[in-house]
Amino acid sequence: MSQCLANIQEVSKQYKNVARPAVNSVSLCIEQQSIFGLLGPNGAGKTTLISMLCGLFKPSSGKILINGFDTVSQSNDAKTCIGVVPQEIALYAKLTAWENLMFLGQMYGIETNELKKRIKENLSILGLEENMHQQVQTFSGGMKRRVNLIAGILHLPKLLILDEPTVGVDLQSKMAIIDHLKKLNKDNEMTIFYTSHHLHEAEDFCSHIAIIDEGKIITHGKTLDLIDSNDCKTIEDVYLKITGNRFRD
Amino acid sequence: MKKLAYCIYKEFKILIRDKAALAIMFLMPMALVFIVTIIQDSTFRSVNETSVPLLFVDKDKDSLSENLEKALEQTHFFEVIKKEISVEETKKLVASGKYLIGIVVAENTSKKLRVKASDKISKLFSQTNAVTDTSALNIQLFFDPITKQSFKTSISGAIDRIVSAIEMQSMGNVLTEQLKESATPGSSSVTFDTRPLVTTVQEYATTSETTLVPNATQHNVPAWTMFAMFFICIPLSGNIIREREDGSAFRLLTMPGSYLTVLMGKISMYLMISLLQFVLMLCVGIYVLPMLGLSALQVGHNLITLFIVSLSAGLAATGFGLLIGTVANSQDQAALFGAVSVVILAAIGGVWIPTFVMPAVMKNISAISPLNWGLEAFYGVFLRGLALSGIIFQVIKLLLFFVACVSGAYFYQVKKRMS
Repeated sequence: MSQCLANIQEVSKQYKNVARPAVNSVSLCIEQQSIFGLLGPNGAGKTTLISMLCGLFKPSSGKILINGFDTVSQSNDAKTCIGVVPQEIALYAKLTAWENLMFLGQMYGIETNELKKRIKENLSILGLEENMHQQVQTFSGGMKRRVNLIAGILHLPKLLILDEPTVGVDLQSKMAIIDHLKKLNKDNEMTIFYTSHHLHEAEDFCSHIAIIDEGKIITHGKTLDLIDSNDCKTIEDVYLKITGNRFRD
Repeated sequence: MKKLAYCIYKEFKILIRDKAALAIMFLMPMALVFIVTIIQDSTFRSVNETSVPLLFVDKDKDSLSENLEKALEQTHFFEVIKKEISVEETKKLVASGKYLIGIVVAENTSKKLRVKASDKISKLFSQTNAVTDTSALNIQLFFDPITKQSFKTSISGAIDRIVSAIEMQSMGNVLTEQLKESATPGSSSVTFDTRPLVTTVQEYATTSETTLVPNATQHNVPAWTMFAMFFICIPLSGNIIREREDGSAFRLLTMPGSYLTVLMGKISMYLMISLLQFVLMLCVGIYVLPMLGLSALQVGHNLITLFIVSLSAGLAATGFGLLIGTVANSQDQAALFGAVSVVILAAIGGVWIPTFVMPAVMKNISAISPLNWGLEAFYGVFLRGLALSGIIFQVIKLLLFFVACVSGAYFYQVKKRMS
């Protein structure tokens, strides 16, 4: 068995004045160089789990180790190992794509010449070279998503955490993003932790999948094993079989 | 340090592209200084330059009314308009707002004054205890109901002084006549000098060698500069909340290193803006206001003290903005709370109405307003010509306010994330 890059151990998160815990005794091992998909309905606890994984929220109980570093007591060391692509377009609308990426790269402490090289390379791969000096507020949704992705990978993190990276984009942008992520996973041995509501995309993209509902991990394992063990044809079937048709929000 | 520099540069880039924020930070305070200084200056002039309309009804047509009219005109306080109307008509005209003041000198007032003066002097010379009329003569004054009490008091005082002088003159005339009558023939002529023996000499008290002259410009430029500096809390808090709403703060918080660097970047940039605002307002006071016929701002010689005051005021303002941006849940909430809180702090801090005219309760409350601390420090430099030692307590209070706001913002955020 491969080593866990991210080790989530019996983690729970209870918000104040809320009866049910947002995350309830979750334990997961995210293996090195895997592409791990966390699927679940709205309000299942995906974003809370991601926030704890990033060291943003402190778990109410349990602990999370990233590359062996505790996200609470060794938060700075843990943070050096991760890159985050939030669900929101976490960019400064009034800055150009270049200015955004230069600022974020410099905040990660990347040497200026190396940073410029990486930005140019990534912009070129994701088809944004010609627009790099335009303000982000003039970009289409797909272009913003692609810049958002680059911002999370500039420092070549060991673990890349993506919260619905392809939401609201056209097929071309979606394919460009997924292809680039696969390349990073393969060439840079980047472990990817990913959430999405696009189940077909997840099935095609992820080596491992976990399904979370009402704060608990219902099932997890290798993608194909999950489909086989549940006697289903697709991950969508597995998902519906496990979570049912009831609204969660 | 390098990260801090990048943060400052990022804030600078965002700010120079935000036209609305630039307008709030630079145009609004300039407009305020122009408007308020012009209004206050013209109010000051109206009291001093013959423009208070005064209706003068002379039924006496004798020495007292003639002297009173002359004296009123000589003060240059009033525009004296004479009319031959009744007391009731005078009241009506003043009540309608056409005149601010109405004065009616009744028939035979001069004659009665002479009789009373003569009686008093005679009584003095003859040593008799003859019963005379001791009732006072009345000159009727009517005020427009909109007249403020303070203005009414100062106008009544001025008219009382004129009337007293006339009364004194009249007594003097009678006394002179009496002395002439009692003097032996051939002796030199006798005249009673009725000129005042005591006059007041007015000047502004100062403990330094300053030549600063208090006027509308000296009062308004520092007051509205403080107001403008604190208004920086609106764009600053908006910037923080926007960063939180668009997920940038989330990303920055997931990066290694302290988020305090990001906050310090914001504080540094907005502090520079507030210092720039201060310099701009000084330039407006020194160069632009004189072009409009207003007094030029005199900065004095304590430039280092002035810089320290503006720096501490700028820090207090940015700290306040940072706290609002951290605690508020939305941009609307921050903008509303920021604007209203600054207006309240300005009002209780003495930006509009000086604290010395406030009731005791409000005076105590004004002591908690950072705008009051800043204003007092600026007045210390601009009006009293004080050095740093004279305003050190205000500076310390502003710096402590900054530290309290930044600590509050930081710990609030840490607590929110870790709870």
